[in-house]
Amino acid sequence: MLTTHVNRRRFLSAAAAIVGAGALGACSAAQGADGRILQFWHLLSGGDGVTMAGLIDQVNAAHAGFDAKPTVLAWGAPYYTKLAMAGAGGRAPEVAIMHASRVPGYVPGGLLDPWDKELLASHGVGEEQYSQPVWDKSHVGGELYSVALDAHPFIMLYNKELCAEAGVLDADGRLKATGTPEEFLALGRELSAVSEGHGMSFGYLGSGSQMWRLFYTLYCQQGVAMELPQGGEAQIDEDAAVTALEFMQQLLDGEVAAAQNDEDNAIAEFATGRSAILFTGVWELPTMQKEGIDVGAAAIPTLYSQPAVYADSHSFVLPRQMNADPELRKMTYTFVADLLSRSTEWAAAGHIPAYLPVIESDAYAKLEPQSDYSDAANHLVYDPPAWFTGSGSNFQSDFGQTVQSVLMTGSDPRPAVRAFKKQLDAILAKPNPTDPEGEWSA
Amino acid sequence: MSHAATETKGARGPAAAVAGAAGAVPPTGVKRFREARVAWIFLAPFMIAFLLFLVWPILHGFYLSFTDQSLTGAGGGFVGGANYAEAFGDATMWRSLANTVLFTLMSTVPLVAIALVMALLVDTGLPGQWLWRLSFFMPYLLASTVISQIWVWIFNPSVGAANELLRAVGLEPIAWLQNESTNLTAIVIATVWWTIGFNFLLYLAALQNIPGHQYEAAELDGAGKLRQVWSITLPQLGPTTVVVLILQILASLKLFDQAYQMMGGISSDTTRSIIQYIYEAGFVGYRFGYSAAISYVFFAAIIIVGILQAVLLRQRKAEK
Repeated sequence: MLTTHVNRRRFLSAAAAIVGAGALGACSAAQGADGRILQFWHLLSGGDGVTMAGLIDQVNAAHAGFDAKPTVLAWGAPYYTKLAMAGAGGRAPEVAIMHASRVPGYVPGGLLDPWDKELLASHGVGEEQYSQPVWDKSHVGGELYSVALDAHPFIMLYNKELCAEAGVLDADGRLKATGTPEEFLALGRELSAVSEGHGMSFGYLGSGSQMWRLFYTLYCQQGVAMELPQGGEAQIDEDAAVTALEFMQQLLDGEVAAAQNDEDNAIAEFATGRSAILFTGVWELPTMQKEGIDVGAAAIPTLYSQPAVYADSHSFVLPRQMNADPELRKMTYTFVADLLSRSTEWAAAGHIPAYLPVIESDAYAKLEPQSDYSDAANHLVYDPPAWFTGSGSNFQSDFGQTVQSVLMTGSDPRPAVRAFKKQLDAILAKPNPTDPEGEWSA
Repeated sequence: MSHAATETKGARGPAAAVAGAAGAVPPTGVKRFREARVAWIFLAPFMIAFLLFLVWPILHGFYLSFTDQSLTGAGGGFVGGANYAEAFGDATMWRSLANTVLFTLMSTVPLVAIALVMALLVDTGLPGQWLWRLSFFMPYLLASTVISQIWVWIFNPSVGAANELLRAVGLEPIAWLQNESTNLTAIVIATVWWTIGFNFLLYLAALQNIPGHQYEAAELDGAGKLRQVWSITLPQLGPTTVVVLILQILASLKLFDQAYQMMGGISSDTTRSIIQYIYEAGFVGYRFGYSAAISYVFFAAIIIVGILQAVLLRQRKAEK
């Protein structure tokens, strides 16, 4: 039996304390230290989160009128669910970060407000300040809906020590170029000869995103596109998809790369110096530098007919507000423009800054190995636009579901490609839930 | 609303109960009204919460299931039974329902049987009873997020304890959560470890309520320990087993958090529970209307299970 009684007085004072704390919290939310509160939602945690917090502090310190207050939510579906609901309710934060690949899914539902290009240009942010793929990706239906902070491509990190031992570095100490799948696999075997574990690490088990990132890079390098027209059939080049998957199977032969590896384990393998190359997103770069590995970085080499690198962008968006405050909106533009101009620090976290004046700065050129892969920004490929695609979406995990066994067992990829196409056709045949009338055929 | 109306309405409701409890003398009209008002005031906080957070969502959800309402606020038009028609033809819906039923079968049997064995062992008078009780019950107090983290590590394909164990006895390691043929089993194992303490406690309490003189009498009659368990303990645990079973089936049907978390948010065809599919359809896929329709299909399935349970129980009672 529970014998401790919460007496009435104790209960009341506790309740009063809770109510009081809530009231105080509400007060502090209304007015910042030196200006109006600018609510800013993002999904950046870990090292990225720390860097972002530093940038926000700098911008806040530079402007007296507002105080941007970040709210950090869990990456992926939980974040996008909350952001969508905030936009649907019309009481969203002033500004938020979204993956550029998710923006086409948000626009038709009226969850985002477009950016005013003129106002943005007056802050020094416009077409001239962006690479073509990034600028194009920021538009939906001719309107500018997102302002990119970065591009974060899928790249290769390499262990310079091991690569030097295998003799695969060029005169400048960079990984030697490979131009065909055969050359690349040969490179993998050379590296595996000097590595304790495998030549390369590719963790994919249970991670649809990892499989998709490498697959889509290789698929697009063959000069083909993937289109997902609402109400139509998925346009997938079956042969190119099979070629890409077959190459991935060859990679996972147990020598070049472990046949069965998950993402965490692949990272651990590389971080402990037991493999020479890691396929990963740019965001793992700081981790490896901290591990004390002499790490280089390179875009995935062009193994087929044309360069292509899977990427996504963290982009600023204006979630729809029912009664947007014009003054706060203006401050939002100032906040975003100023943060972009300081994004050199963001590059330290591995990301390629999207804002060209930063890329062209001396400070960035000195950042090694970041500047080695900045050229990738000109060949970025994003998820094919549709309401259900993008980072952290079910699209990528569904892809993983379908092809994981192909990669694990080495079985014929063609049926898996067909099954994936069939799944996509089924989704495309249903009306877009954010746009049931079909007013936007993005 | 007039006072008279309130009074008559009140008189049929809680006031009647209050009057009945007060005594044999039926109160006069004014007094009855006063008592009814007091009763309603006391009931109000609960009634408001009940109407607002249970009755209204149930009704509104039912209405939504006939619309194409989207999470983004778009849609909302009446679509008749289209959502239900789609749900019945949706292979993923059936697969998720089957996963939930399979999980319920796989988890309920060990969760009842092992809990009983554990309770019997502890009740034999092992020294340090409190320690056993505590350690068996402790996992139940952990949040689902915590147990998911723990078991993700245990099931890690390369450094996990589960595979260490397999290697130690000379078996091949298994990619527990990544392999589609083992991931549901892995979730069952984690769930059994996590929630068995509750059933264990119910059984232990029931065991300790069996009067000791019955065992003494049996012993005088020459019954051995096993005979005592079989003829005295187990029959008297019957009612408890019914309660444990019903609670366990309902709890297992609600599978979501540990499966979702242990799979890292990935929806695998072999672990996606029906509740996860409801969440995915509504919140990830933005389709509130469709998601509501699946909820009602599931609701109907649970009601069928409930009716079956009730019928079986009644039959058993009738047999006695």
